[in-house]
Amino acid sequence: MSILANKDTRVVIQGGAAGVNAARRMAEFCYLIKRPLNVEAFVYPPDAGKSNEVPYGSGLIAIPVYKTIAEATKHHPTINTSLVYIGADRAMKGGMEALDDPHIKVVSMITEGVPEKDAKLLGAHARKLGKVFNGPSSIGIISAGACRLGVIGGAFDNLVLSKLYREGSFGVITKSGGLSNEIIWICSQFADGITTAIGIGGDAYPGTDYVSYLEMFENDPQTKAVVIVGEMGGDLEERAAEWYAAKKRRVKLIGVVSGFCQESLPKGMKFGHAGAKEGMKGEGSARSKSDALKKSGALVPATFGALGPAIKETYQELLKSGQVKEPVEPAVLPRLPKSVEEAMKADEVMVAPLIRTTISDDRGDEPCYDGYPASELINKGYEIPHVIGLLWDKRLISKQEAEIIKRIMMLSADHGPCVSGAYATILAACAGIGLSQAVAAGLIMIGPRFGGAVTDAGRWFKYAVDNKMNVDEFLAYMKKNVGPVPGIGHRVKSLRNPDKRVKELVGYVKSLHIKTPCLDFALQVEQVTAAKKDNLILNVDGTMAAVLVDLGFPVDSLNGFFILSRTIGLIGHWVDQKRQDSRLIRLFDYLVNYAAPKRREVPPLK
Amino acid sequence: MAKVLEGPGMGLMKKWGIHVPHYVVVTSADELSKLGQVNEWMKQTKLVAKAHEALGSRFKLGLVKVGLDLSGAVAATKEMIGRQVGSITVSQVIVSEMISHKEEYYCAVKSTREGSEILVANCGGIEVESNWDRVKRLCLDVGQQPTPEGLEKLAKEAGFTGGLTKKMAGFAGKMFTCFDNEDAQYLEVNPVVTRESDGELVALDAVTLLDGDAKFRHPDWNFQFAAEFGRAYSKDEMEVMAVDSKIKGSVKFIEIPGGDTAMLPAGGGASVYYSDAVVARGGKLANYAEYSGDPPDWAVEALTEKVCSLPGIKNIIVGGAIANFTDVKKTFGGIINGFRKAKGDGKLKGVKIWVRRGGPREKEGLDAMRALKDEGFDINVFDRNTPLTDIVDKALQK
Repeated sequence: MSILANKDTRVVIQGGAAGVNAARRMAEFCYLIKRPLNVEAFVYPPDAGKSNEVPYGSGLIAIPVYKTIAEATKHHPTINTSLVYIGADRAMKGGMEALDDPHIKVVSMITEGVPEKDAKLLGAHARKLGKVFNGPSSIGIISAGACRLGVIGGAFDNLVLSKLYREGSFGVITKSGGLSNEIIWICSQFADGITTAIGIGGDAYPGTDYVSYLEMFENDPQTKAVVIVGEMGGDLEERAAEWYAAKKRRVKLIGVVSGFCQESLPKGMKFGHAGAKEGMKGEGSARSKSDALKKSGALVPATFGALGPAIKETYQELLKSGQVKEPVEPAVLPRLPKSVEEAMKADEVMVAPLIRTTISDDRGDEPCYDGYPASELINKGYEIPHVIGLLWDKRLISKQEAEIIKRIMMLSADHGPCVSGAYATILAACAGIGLSQAVAAGLIMIGPRFGGAVTDAGRWFKYAVDNKMNVDEFLAYMKKNVGPVPGIGHRVKSLRNPDKRVKELVGYVKSLHIKTPCLDFALQVEQVTAAKKDNLILNVDGTMAAVLVDLGFPVDSLNGFFILSRTIGLIGHWVDQKRQDSRLIRLFDYLVNYAAPKRREVPPLK
Repeated sequence: MAKVLEGPGMGLMKKWGIHVPHYVVVTSADELSKLGQVNEWMKQTKLVAKAHEALGSRFKLGLVKVGLDLSGAVAATKEMIGRQVGSITVSQVIVSEMISHKEEYYCAVKSTREGSEILVANCGGIEVESNWDRVKRLCLDVGQQPTPEGLEKLAKEAGFTGGLTKKMAGFAGKMFTCFDNEDAQYLEVNPVVTRESDGELVALDAVTLLDGDAKFRHPDWNFQFAAEFGRAYSKDEMEVMAVDSKIKGSVKFIEIPGGDTAMLPAGGGASVYYSDAVVARGGKLANYAEYSGDPPDWAVEALTEKVCSLPGIKNIIVGGAIANFTDVKKTFGGIINGFRKAKGDGKLKGVKIWVRRGGPREKEGLDAMRALKDEGFDINVFDRNTPLTDIVDKALQK
């Protein structure tokens, strides 16, 4: 047996993330005691119509979210309890809504910082309806082996350590949430554990006080003793003492009170929970409460530390008198399934990885590129081309190579608004498309006819050099097997109107006196082709390709240099259009050659 | 509970129709002179000047001056502003109209578990404090309004007679309306006096305690709550309060000068038991502190730094019960960072650290604390098997 929360308790949780978290904790407990999840529904208007996922064992249960309590109890008529996890400014409205629902008998409020008046109104309303309003600021209610409401009881391991999977003989009532767990633990170590533990909240006027719960415990035959953990302030402990002294009670009462330190603190200095405040004439002090409890016949240990032995003493008496028997522990308890991560950490499972990477790792405090921490690269003077070298070719390139890459990028960053890539990005920007999509539109243009010839040019120049072909052999091979030589030819530029970018790059690379077999070969090819036709010159794609192959970059990475460089320009074009707040554009009819058939009659459908 | 100074307190009473004297709150004598030029009442009546601070026994401290004319009030203001009383510097003075009167009465409304009670006495001032049995009460359930008949009965019981009965009943009714609508926890007017000019009851003083948690529905509470400690908050205390206001969960810090046992426990409930244990052992608390509700690690770190900066400490008690949902590893991570910073700044020399805790990820958290030994900290770490406050016993063993 237990009070308030039992095996028939079915719950609606009012609130968002905190409520979902509580449901998860409650599911862990249900799993431990091998009972179905006791949470039926959530009420949270912003998420109404959705559902929250709550892990139960190794599975997931979807719990529906409703807009109102009435909807929730209509769909789940077994609901009899509500947990309120909504903000202090809306807590009263939510609590009243739950109390007014005929299905709901118990409302426990977790919300902290609820105005005193609201808490009193909720308490009074519940009493009028013959229902229970617990809290505000309540950590929850737990009945061992039966029901958990809220996060009270802590993590799964603690539920097991505190033997919450089966009933004991001690009832617990605390104001403090943290101490409720402590007392549950003490009861499990010094005695046979708890029946029900209730956090009533540390506010000045809890909705339901010690006396009401003591009365319930008195009527619960399984509960043989009750531990109350009090605090200075208010008169709840005094009222509990009064109740205990009023007549012979079946349950034994054990009580501790905090706040003795107040006596030796500077006057006016107070701390602890909201309710921890002394009355004007010393009533509500720790001493007056402690004295009242002692006088009532309750067992009052001198300090919190003496509480364990006091509980033990009571338990031994109960054993001796035959009122309780030593509990039988179950042989096997369910273990909470571990997440894959936890199981791997414990070396319990091996998982075949889905992907493999050989270039970077950012699991630490900063990314490492091919093993080198980014900050160290920065601090030792490395630059963007070195990062490209590490991520594209897994090697730390030299200063000279970095300089070449930098120049290649600077030369290819943009080529005005008219080329396919930039034009596509501008068109998208004018249509109001976002940055990443508009830049992607530009990048999509990169292919065999625009900017995408670098890789192919590099591939074939390298093929020729690797196979020691001369220019004639190469051109014959290309004509037979491939087609026009990638990297050769330009729409506008020609021998008479040379591409300054090519001149610049070739000039610089040549001035370094490094070995450039591919570039040399490409220039030889140009001499032959340009002689045939004026515009069959080595273009910027071909030049870049030859140089990058000479630097040792893998052929398949070569288009990347153009994509990367040109992205700079594409972003620039998008920002430029955005800055000007450009209007939507469309082609003018005069720019279109309408070569479609003239307007004609549609024949009848056959 | 949030204490409100007299000025804003009287403002709230005036809002609900209670007669109060004319008053102004000033921060300089110059401001008062200027106000004197535009407010007729300041020239026509005698004035009272009081330091507008959360100070007890102002009269004895010479911070209340009565029967002044305007220039006298200006002089008194000049004298009071900037005066240092303990840790409080007088920065405001309230100057009000002096109401000549003969009789003094008492009226208060107080929050009770069931609702509230209205208190009335037909004596006031110091007299009521020594004749508490003359205070009569009307108890009301929450949500219940007093009836005019009930209030008149109360006034009669308190000894009011004739026309004054109705007047006092009306005054008490307005006090209740103010209390009820302003989310007050305590309202007291002592004395209530009969204004000789028109025979109306006037509140000469106001003690106002409001429910700080209800601030969200009172946009006109544009005043600051006064420190409840009888002293101003220190810089470190205010810094922790600023952190507290920003986070989920809470961190609290109050300095107690002269102590040598520093407190860094978890939980609003457990922290007081830890403090009790220190006092019971004959120790001297250097502070009160508390963190709870799974606060972020940086907030606990900030709190730890303040605790480590307390002068003359010998022990730090990092206690805590078995947490429900506060992540022990994460919050201890904050404490550990705070300890490391303090040590780096040359603090914690010869300071012993005592740890006891349980809760989610307790093993990881406690292991991390234990590892501080290797960094040269004098630290003793205990788990849930050591009773809550035993670390205090160990720390303070002679």
